[in-house]
Amino acid sequence: MRYEIRVDGELTETLAKAFPELDHVVVSGHTILFGRVLDETQLYGLLARCQSLGLRVLEMRQAPQ
Amino acid sequence: MGVPDETGADPLGTADPCGDPFLRTRFAIPTLPVTYLRRDRLLGHLDLAPRTPLTVVGGAAGAGKTLLVADWAATRRTPVAWLTAQMADKGRGTFWAYLLQALRLAGVTLSAEVGLPAEAGRVDDALLTRLAAELSAREAPVTAVIDEYDRVTDPEIADQLEFVLRHADTGVRLVLVTRTEPLLPLHRYRAAGAVTEIRNDELAFTPEEAGDLLALHGIRLPPDEIGALLARTRGWAAGLRLSALAAQGERDPRSYLKEFEADRTTIGDYLIAEVLRRQRAETQDLLLRISVLDRFCPALADALTGRADAELILTALHRENAFVEDLGHSWFRLHPLFREILRAHLRARHPGLETELHRRAAAWLRRHGPLVETLEHAAAAGDWAAAAGALVGDLALGELLTGPRAEPLAALFAAMGPEPRTPATDLVRAARALSLGDLDRGLPHLERATRELEDATNRPVQEPNGLTRAPHQEQSEPAETAAARLGCALLHVLAARLTGSPARAEAAAHRAEELKQEVPGRLLDRHPELTALLRAHLGAARLWAGRFTQARAALTAVTDHGRTTPAAAAQVRAPEPASPVKTRSPVAPERPSTAQVREECLAHLALLDHLDGHPGRAERKALAALAAADHTDPSVLPGIGPATLVLAAVATDRDELDRAEALVDAPLDAADVRPPARDPVAQALHALVTARLLLARGDTEGALEAADRTVVADEPSPWAEAHAALVAAGAHLADGRPELAVKLLTELPGEDPLCLVGAAQAELAAGRPGHALDLLDRIRPGHTPGPLIAVRSALVEAELAGVEGDREARRRLVAQALREARRDRLRRPFKEAGPWLRPLLATPALRPLAEGWLLPGAGSPDGTPAVPEPPPMIEELSGRERDVLVRLAEMMSTEEIAADLFVSVNTVKTHLKSAYRKLGVNRRHDAVHRARELGLL
Repeated sequence: MRYEIRVDGELTETLAKAFPELDHVVVSGHTILFGRVLDETQLYGLLARCQSLGLRVLEMRQAPQ
Repeated sequence: MGVPDETGADPLGTADPCGDPFLRTRFAIPTLPVTYLRRDRLLGHLDLAPRTPLTVVGGAAGAGKTLLVADWAATRRTPVAWLTAQMADKGRGTFWAYLLQALRLAGVTLSAEVGLPAEAGRVDDALLTRLAAELSAREAPVTAVIDEYDRVTDPEIADQLEFVLRHADTGVRLVLVTRTEPLLPLHRYRAAGAVTEIRNDELAFTPEEAGDLLALHGIRLPPDEIGALLARTRGWAAGLRLSALAAQGERDPRSYLKEFEADRTTIGDYLIAEVLRRQRAETQDLLLRISVLDRFCPALADALTGRADAELILTALHRENAFVEDLGHSWFRLHPLFREILRAHLRARHPGLETELHRRAAAWLRRHGPLVETLEHAAAAGDWAAAAGALVGDLALGELLTGPRAEPLAALFAAMGPEPRTPATDLVRAARALSLGDLDRGLPHLERATRELEDATNRPVQEPNGLTRAPHQEQSEPAETAAARLGCALLHVLAARLTGSPARAEAAAHRAEELKQEVPGRLLDRHPELTALLRAHLGAARLWAGRFTQARAALTAVTDHGRTTPAAAAQVRAPEPASPVKTRSPVAPERPSTAQVREECLAHLALLDHLDGHPGRAERKALAALAAADHTDPSVLPGIGPATLVLAAVATDRDELDRAEALVDAPLDAADVRPPARDPVAQALHALVTARLLLARGDTEGALEAADRTVVADEPSPWAEAHAALVAAGAHLADGRPELAVKLLTELPGEDPLCLVGAAQAELAAGRPGHALDLLDRIRPGHTPGPLIAVRSALVEAELAGVEGDREARRRLVAQALREARRDRLRRPFKEAGPWLRPLLATPALRPLAEGWLLPGAGSPDGTPAVPEPPPMIEELSGRERDVLVRLAEMMSTEEIAADLFVSVNTVKTHLKSAYRKLGVNRRHDAVHRARELGLL
């Protein structure tokens, strides 16, 4: 499964290191984290990590393969 | 705001189900920083909480939930129990133990009846029911705050909380502080108006509050600029607080904040980087380094920085309300939000430093902190030499073999590879392998560790020049070296037991006793499992060797201990500086670390009773062992351990063959799980019980084969050999080969009374009553045999009397055998006595003694309670009826069974009816039960 998580704000390179398993791209005031997610457990783990880093998740979707 | 220091008055102890002391910081209501802004509208809302059983304060990280509730809790006149639910992932039992402790610390008197969860992973429904009942009887409700409730991810805990909440009525008010929606049926509470909710939107700062907060930091802004700041931070408390902190140091805070508003970087990221940048280099360095820690005290922080300024820095940071929270008793933690971000900064700025920091934390904790945390940090650093060194040096090697921590410890060390090789890592590898009964892997590690420990002892203290020792090899402390050698001796006793070498077990146990003198008493007190394991393994080795009296002495030392000696159970650890609660209650009612060992010892004592011919005693002990096993660890199935096997053996002696078969066969899949599978006692016992059962079923060939099964052991076991010969002789006798039977039994060394009786019976069958008489005379006079031996020998003597024509003596001896056997319902000896007995039993003189238990009878003779036997099966079940029953046992409905078997529901019902009739039952549940009893499932 590939997922995209769009968070509010532009993530610095430093903070992006908190998501070593995902790639990221910054677009106009947002950051999209994307990459392969093994299962739901990991997905919820990523969401929890966003939360614990104070990131606001704007959108999350499964990306086409 | 602190936590009462006095916990000693609590009779139930101050330790969680694993025996670890409660961490005081989990019960501390957080202190409010000076820049905390009291917000009356939220306090006003929270004041409604006492009217509803449940209050949920939910919001994002850094929304200000915890401080709000802490502020509110401090103003309450009724008691408030505070729990930070960080231990929620350590099991239900641990969670409830902590919650009960929080209630007790808040002054809630709970009777001893409520008790404490005995296991980390489980809590009794009875405990929760009693807790709810006692809470409901309270006049003033207690407020229970659970902070970080989002850490509770086990739905069962949520159900249990809801149960207590519902049944405690008005006795308790639950306040959950959480980042995520709690796993409770909130909609029901909402519909009933039974929940007070404060959610993220309400927690967000209003313009007025934001102005006040900034003012606390000395920043005054006009309303429109406050509005802009709120728009940027969305009223997020952490965002506002950080922006105030960042702007505070600026010459022109207003234009600085404008800059921040215009920036598009994620808020937390931006602000933390900003606030961090403003700190002195030492402070920045300290903050980054302590981000690897859950909680810390100044000394631990100093250990990570290598400086001595942590106390000053931490106090200042806490005063400025920047990052650091005070947990009381000189312990601090980073706000979780900051910690995560700081960790990201640490990784970016100092790649690789994290590992080193974990290593340093482990080294500091090794000296000052709890072992579990030491091990976690050492493992996180991948420093296995340090992890193993800490475990072995703390004399905790036995915890890898038994007790509630065995599993988590094994999981922790599972990540350790074949390197590094130190005596401690080799001991850990050996312990892991031996605990699984894997001698082939365990012994080489054990031997290498032993050699190196010996070398280290003989080596002069001075290290050779040029050889610098790595920090983890600092095994210089003699106490630690002694602990390692004692752990090593323990593994030698275990290995000797598994290889069936009693002499080596004795030698290693003797060595262990000597080493105990060199190990500090506090270590021994802290690890009762070590002594228990030493005795248990030694007892098992002696049992194998047939030294029953000595075996019993070692085994009873374990089973009697911990039950009766509160003095020995006193576990007062010396107060150590700068560490959380370290004192334990002087009374430890349950010793979780030795419970498993005691069960095994009980099972072996049961086996001793069985071998002595005391089936009643054997059964009682075996049942006690199984009941204890059931109680202490549901994850370990009763399995086919010695206790189950003893029960099967007793059932065979009673000719309850279905039951015996069910016991031996049922948990076969679980058998491999139960360590140590390679134990020669368990293996020999399994072979014997199987062989006896096959013989009783008339399968003489199978019995011979099973009895011949070889058990791998360095030294043979006299009783195992004798009993194997006895079963084989029985099979030969049944097949009409008395000469072979005689040969087998008379070749045996030793004077086992049961074998002598068996040999006498075989001699009789071979037509040599004279020899039989000689053999019977050899049974030691003065020896009071157990009922089983007494019955068998009386029957053989009776047969002999019959051969000699003394009918009166024969009748008298049979009557004696019947009287001896009746209490324990020992039917098997009568079935095996031979054809001469049956007509005799029917005679008026003997019949009353046999009726009701051996012969179908009118009732119970002279007060002996007859055991009501369920009606025997008259008709066999058909294949289809069995198919239906099997599915019934799997809890399938009639419809599901019909679908599964491709038949109509009516057909299933017909099969069920006729199965019920054949089983003599009327209900599903009874049918399954009865079918199990009869071994049909």
